[in-house]
Amino acid sequence: MKKVIMGNHAVSWGVKLARAEVIAAYPITPQTQVVEELSEMCADGRLEGRFIKVESEHSAMAACIGASATGVRAFTATSSQGLLLMHEVMHWAGGGRLPIVMADINRAVAPGWTIWTDQNDSLSQRDTGWIQFYCETNQEVLDTTIQSFKLAETVSLPVMLVLDAFFLSHTSEPVDIPEQAEVDAFLPKRQALMKLDPNDPHSFGSLTPPNIYMELRKRQQEAFDETHQVFEEIDADWGRRFGRRYGAIEAYQAEGAEVLLVTSGTVTSTARYVVDQRRARGERVGLLKVKMFRPFPTALLRAALAGVPRVAVLDRNISPGHGGIFAEEIRSALYDLELSRRPALDGYVVGLGGRDMTPAVIEECLDRSRKALQTGQTPEREDLWVGVKE
Amino acid sequence: MPEDRSRMDIVHGVPPVAITSTTTLANRTGSWKYIRPIYQDKVAPCNAGCPVGIDIEAYMNLLREGHLDAALDVLLRENPLPATTGRVCEHPCESVCNRKKFDEPVAIHAVERMLGDVALEAAPPAPPEQRRKEKVAVVGSGPAGLACAYHLARMGYAVRVYEADPEPGGMLRYAIPDYKLPKGILAREIERIRALGVEIRCSARVGKDVKWDEVAAHDAVFLAIGAHQALPLGLKDGGPGVLAGLEFLRQVNSAERPRLAKKTVVVVGADNTALDCARAAVRLGAASATLVCPVERGAVPAFHADVAEAEHEGVQLHFGTRPGAVHAPAGKPATLECSREDGSKLTLNADVLIAAAGEQPDFAPLPPDVKRADGAVRADDLGATSRTAVFAGGDLAGEPRTVAHALGAGKRAAVGIDRFLRQRAGEKVEADLAQLRYGGTGNVSATRWRGDDPVRRSGEVNEIVAFEQMNMAHFQHAPRHADRRRPAAERRSGFAEVNLGLPPPHAHAEALRCFNCGVCNQCEVCLVFCPDVAITRRAEGAAKFSISYKYCKGCGVCSFECPRGAMAMTREGL
Repeated sequence: MKKVIMGNHAVSWGVKLARAEVIAAYPITPQTQVVEELSEMCADGRLEGRFIKVESEHSAMAACIGASATGVRAFTATSSQGLLLMHEVMHWAGGGRLPIVMADINRAVAPGWTIWTDQNDSLSQRDTGWIQFYCETNQEVLDTTIQSFKLAETVSLPVMLVLDAFFLSHTSEPVDIPEQAEVDAFLPKRQALMKLDPNDPHSFGSLTPPNIYMELRKRQQEAFDETHQVFEEIDADWGRRFGRRYGAIEAYQAEGAEVLLVTSGTVTSTARYVVDQRRARGERVGLLKVKMFRPFPTALLRAALAGVPRVAVLDRNISPGHGGIFAEEIRSALYDLELSRRPALDGYVVGLGGRDMTPAVIEECLDRSRKALQTGQTPEREDLWVGVKE
Repeated sequence: MPEDRSRMDIVHGVPPVAITSTTTLANRTGSWKYIRPIYQDKVAPCNAGCPVGIDIEAYMNLLREGHLDAALDVLLRENPLPATTGRVCEHPCESVCNRKKFDEPVAIHAVERMLGDVALEAAPPAPPEQRRKEKVAVVGSGPAGLACAYHLARMGYAVRVYEADPEPGGMLRYAIPDYKLPKGILAREIERIRALGVEIRCSARVGKDVKWDEVAAHDAVFLAIGAHQALPLGLKDGGPGVLAGLEFLRQVNSAERPRLAKKTVVVVGADNTALDCARAAVRLGAASATLVCPVERGAVPAFHADVAEAEHEGVQLHFGTRPGAVHAPAGKPATLECSREDGSKLTLNADVLIAAAGEQPDFAPLPPDVKRADGAVRADDLGATSRTAVFAGGDLAGEPRTVAHALGAGKRAAVGIDRFLRQRAGEKVEADLAQLRYGGTGNVSATRWRGDDPVRRSGEVNEIVAFEQMNMAHFQHAPRHADRRRPAAERRSGFAEVNLGLPPPHAHAEALRCFNCGVCNQCEVCLVFCPDVAITRRAEGAAKFSISYKYCKGCGVCSFECPRGAMAMTREGL
């Protein structure tokens, strides 16, 4: 069944088809419609789940943690300041290895007060022990939502799926909504390995002395390592069943590219258009979309970027005092490549706080990197901020 | 814990998450507490606010649980005439309903009426098996007399009621018109009282048809002859053309109603009697019906809903208008001079002039040693008068003149008579009035007096639960159901009932709106919120839930969250 729905509702539909059993959420622009729709689905019985109203995002995540610990499938959604308020309990979900799925609608962080998109909210949760996926289209949002539950429950790690505010959350697109029976076949009821059980009470997350803490962290890291392969399999399975797959990264017109753009989120679609135009003019440019940010797809990126002369990473985020976060992580991933195959990398900071990333902005980035390739001169640090008023 | 312990997955010597390898049952968190929660049923404000003394909360909860018969039993234990009070009581219970502070009070009157109407269809009750040998006389079959007779009969006494009028019911029968209380409803309720073995002798006026000595020969007597004597009309030069309000209503409530076609009717007065005179006149075809009311609209002692209804029916209302001189020559229209607060004058012509100036008791039939003061017989809380074995209540004893207060007085007198007769028989019985009264200040409970409460209670205390003790987070707004009313145009042409009550599904919905203030209705909020999983549901016994004090660490969350204030934190037992 095809429906024209907005990105936020694509999340809601995905959660409904995944038969989430507990949803605890607090509303925040631009996330509100995700849970608004889910609350109605719970109220009218389309979704046999419990919707828990809470007084803050911290409580929303805490409720999901409690629910997930009892063995049920839990979901929440938030944005920006709400996500930041969750930070303390984000670690509890991650370290507790609870397969919660959360949608974060990427919204820039105050001050100044803003509701428009950039990735600083989700990237500031980088080290909380959550898998992160950045989505490009409403179809990808729906598909990733369902896949996320399967992945989370397989590797016992929580998953955050990320949508750009407004560009994706509030934009309507036709979405193919799978049949419930097909989703049920792909995603059976959760089988929790460990459960909070009042009849056999144990303490979860209690005092952990130095002689075992590190081992627990090692196990968490191993779960992330395993995630690359598990996601690959789940995505392939999804592709066989529904005819669509996305990959942790996706190369587009990358063959023989001299300059390769690297993007995440909705700007990828704009970049595809720019690359098509340039290719039509005979320019050797290409595109690489990064969907999975945690675990970081180091091996895949190395393979995709080895031998490319120059890489232009577009970061809709900034780590103050350093640079664009994707660029810095990719740069570090490429370090182990032998020098002759290691690309030069320009990390552009663009589109913060919802500033439009038009084809012109992307072309500007491409042109600066092409110039650098021709002249052999790396752009000045101040030239890496594109679209900023003089 | 792993569902299958054999699957516990240990790598690097640790499970996937920080989890204790042994059960935490060994950790008796109960040892941390310095206060502890208990279940403590209290009293809903409606129970205490009801002049009859009815466990309203209990019948609401029984209806919630779907136990219609049990709800009816709880109601009939305290109120002999629910179909009547469901129609004519102003329901002070609703004005103290805690729900009023949340959205609107529960429509208690409509639930009571629904139950009362169900009771009319039910099989009449059988007289109790345990009989007492004493005989009691009740003088007057108004609500006070009927209530006393009913409760005594349920306690096993033989009761005989002497009624001066040809039919029982007193003011209910002769002062309240059919459009408020159809005669058939009252008659069937009185039949139910007769079914208990109560003998009602009509046309038996004490002092005229029956000698006082015959009455006094009973083991105890309850005097409830009401107040039927019209006070002086207060109109200068009243004359023969002026009719007393109560007398007019007696005519209205008789088989031969007065004919008022094309007559101009003026009523002077401010109370329910005055309003009913004017409303009855409209129904009897009067060309016009005018009420001259000496007080302002907001100050009338009549039910305010009745004022509005009278207005809808076309009664012309003159508030703050004082009647002055009246000229009422026999056989000719009367003229009434009135003056308003602002000094302006109003002259009204009337073919029929009715004055409802209030009534007082007629003490003539009473023996002189039944002492009186301030126009009423002196009686204590349980009805005892200055004469041994003689009790009094209702309008005669100066109670507020409502049906509900009369029913309440009759019940108190029944308790007083029971105590008196049992003490005389050598039993050691005491009545702790504060304990018998709902919340200490409400009316007496017959069930508490008998000590046979059918409702399971935990740690009951006789305290009214305040709105502030409850937790509104657990309730949702729900509008009160409005009674169905006959359209005003239809009302004017006859005496058909005006208020048609609620259809049963709406009455049941009102029972679900009840908060069950102060009383555990097993909502399980405590069980859900307890962070120590220390609360479990119990199959039987007084308490509906049990708290494991081994693990309860006295955090108070259960008591704080309880939606209805049915828990308390205490140091007792520590």
